[in-house]
Amino acid sequence: MKTSLPDLLINPNKFFQQALGDKEQLKYPGLIILLGAVVAAISGYFMGSLTAGMMESAMQGMGSFIVIIAVIAAFVMTFLVWIVWAGVFYLFSKVFKGTGSFNRCLEVVGYGYVPQIIGALVTVIAALEYLPRVAVPHLTSAVLENPQMIQDATTALMHDPAMLEFTQISAVISIVFLLWSANIWIFGIKQARNIPMRDAAICVGLPVILLILFQVYKLAGA
Amino acid sequence: MKILTFLVLITITLLAGIGGTTAYVTPDSIVAAGNVYISNVTYDPGAFFTGDTGTVTFAVTNGNANQSIVANHATFGDKNFQLTSGTYDTSSNIGPLQTRPYVFSVASDANEGTYYPTFSLSFRDADSLYYSGMVRVDNTPLVVSVLSKPDSFTQAKKDTISVQVANPRKNEVKNVIVDVSGGDGVDLLPSTQYIGRVAAGTSILVNFSVTPNQETTLHLTLNYDNGDNHHSTDLQIPVTFTPDKKKANPVMSNIAVKTESGVTHITGDVTNAGLTVANAVTVTALAPAVPQDPYKSYVIGALKPDDFGSFEVTFSADNSTNIPIQLTFRDTDGNVITSTQNVTVPLFSSSTQDTGFPVLPVVAVVLVVAIFVGGWLVYLKRYKQ
Repeated sequence: MKTSLPDLLINPNKFFQQALGDKEQLKYPGLIILLGAVVAAISGYFMGSLTAGMMESAMQGMGSFIVIIAVIAAFVMTFLVWIVWAGVFYLFSKVFKGTGSFNRCLEVVGYGYVPQIIGALVTVIAALEYLPRVAVPHLTSAVLENPQMIQDATTALMHDPAMLEFTQISAVISIVFLLWSANIWIFGIKQARNIPMRDAAICVGLPVILLILFQVYKLAGA
Repeated sequence: MKILTFLVLITITLLAGIGGTTAYVTPDSIVAAGNVYISNVTYDPGAFFTGDTGTVTFAVTNGNANQSIVANHATFGDKNFQLTSGTYDTSSNIGPLQTRPYVFSVASDANEGTYYPTFSLSFRDADSLYYSGMVRVDNTPLVVSVLSKPDSFTQAKKDTISVQVANPRKNEVKNVIVDVSGGDGVDLLPSTQYIGRVAAGTSILVNFSVTPNQETTLHLTLNYDNGDNHHSTDLQIPVTFTPDKKKANPVMSNIAVKTESGVTHITGDVTNAGLTVANAVTVTALAPAVPQDPYKSYVIGALKPDDFGSFEVTFSADNSTNIPIQLTFRDTDGNVITSTQNVTVPLFSSSTQDTGFPVLPVVAVVLVVAIFVGGWLVYLKRYKQ
């Protein structure tokens, strides 16, 4: 059976009817997640550079280390998120007596991650525009010994006008593309776990909406 | 024998004749003495201080047109004026229409007042001539007073003091010298000024510059001679440092702090709130700040009163929040004056701002979520049907 990326993005029901075979296939979902991890690593590089800039005065030579850690963390986190989303959907669908395997959930979540890669790329473009304008506070060795000052410095960084704007834009982008992914995941979970559409919508929609509410709370609090 | 008798008689007759012309008071000699008068009396000094010494000169004029007179003795005296030079005790001839001065040295022991000591001249062929001349004893000293001086003295700032030297006495004084001293802590120019003579009832203005390096008292001494007698008058002028009410007063304001890449930029304005020009106004950051390019120090230049200029200084200052910013300028005399103002530098950039509740993003998210949920509800309803 032939599958296509437009079907995945626009007509996921048709896509999953064609894509999901008798046996779980994690090759393409894994590649999609790998691509998402690379994009996330690029974002991690930008954020790590900001953090390294903060520590530049106090920790000479540690900048590269901080950037590398940020890149690796962003890369690995993408795979963890993949697993966590699959686990959450698996557990929720179990409530509705879902029958499919966990790997099938992984497969569905992997395919449904494509919109978030697009969102991440848009975020990277926004980062290229906004992050150079961020005034990075420079922490000194004395400041590093004072947790309150570190918090103040972090607050100062996050409240920088350019940083605030970037945070808000990236939050909106990530939420929009998460909803797009959720739309794909609902169709995928329905087929992967053999549950009705309504149950699949609840299994996916509930944790996604909760996550979005948490993100909105953080956005409002920022 | 007859010849010898004749010679004796001639000799006796000659001797008798000579004796008759020198020792005898005749009506003519009395009349002639009456034409002798004191034509002038001069006291030097014109008015004495108590204790002063001086001279008095009597000019005696023979008013006879064709007859000399002979004076045997001349003297001058009074209980208040002691004669220190002695009297004229030898005979002297004053020819017709001639004037002869008689000079006496005297010392005044009298208190203030007007006195009339007596000059007497004894004639050989007549009685004596007496003359009482007026002389004053005046203990009024010369007056020295400050006419103008700065309202306040400033350390190392040159100012001018004007003093008036006035002579309220009845006579002229000479060799007037103004001498000013103030110790090591002050530069005076000139410290000594020669004025010369100051006539009675007149005054003279004397200026000198003062550059005090520390608070002190100026001792001004006015030395002068009354005749040949030295006198002096003192005046003390305190030099204390008080704020100059007219001095330039540059004030920093509108301070803004920004930190970029470890370099702090402080910008602001300097306004001259004083009444005189502030020259070469310079702004720089002091330790613990380490000045950095491009504005290690900023030269604003001259600021007139009420004028202002902007500045920017750049520096790095790790672990410091209070940075002293030094403002330096020169006054009109070139004295360097500095002032320091502490500026609080936040450890983190002050360019952050509180934007409040992010309405637009939250509304956008809620709208998108609402569309998503609503869409799915509609879809599920249709899907069920």
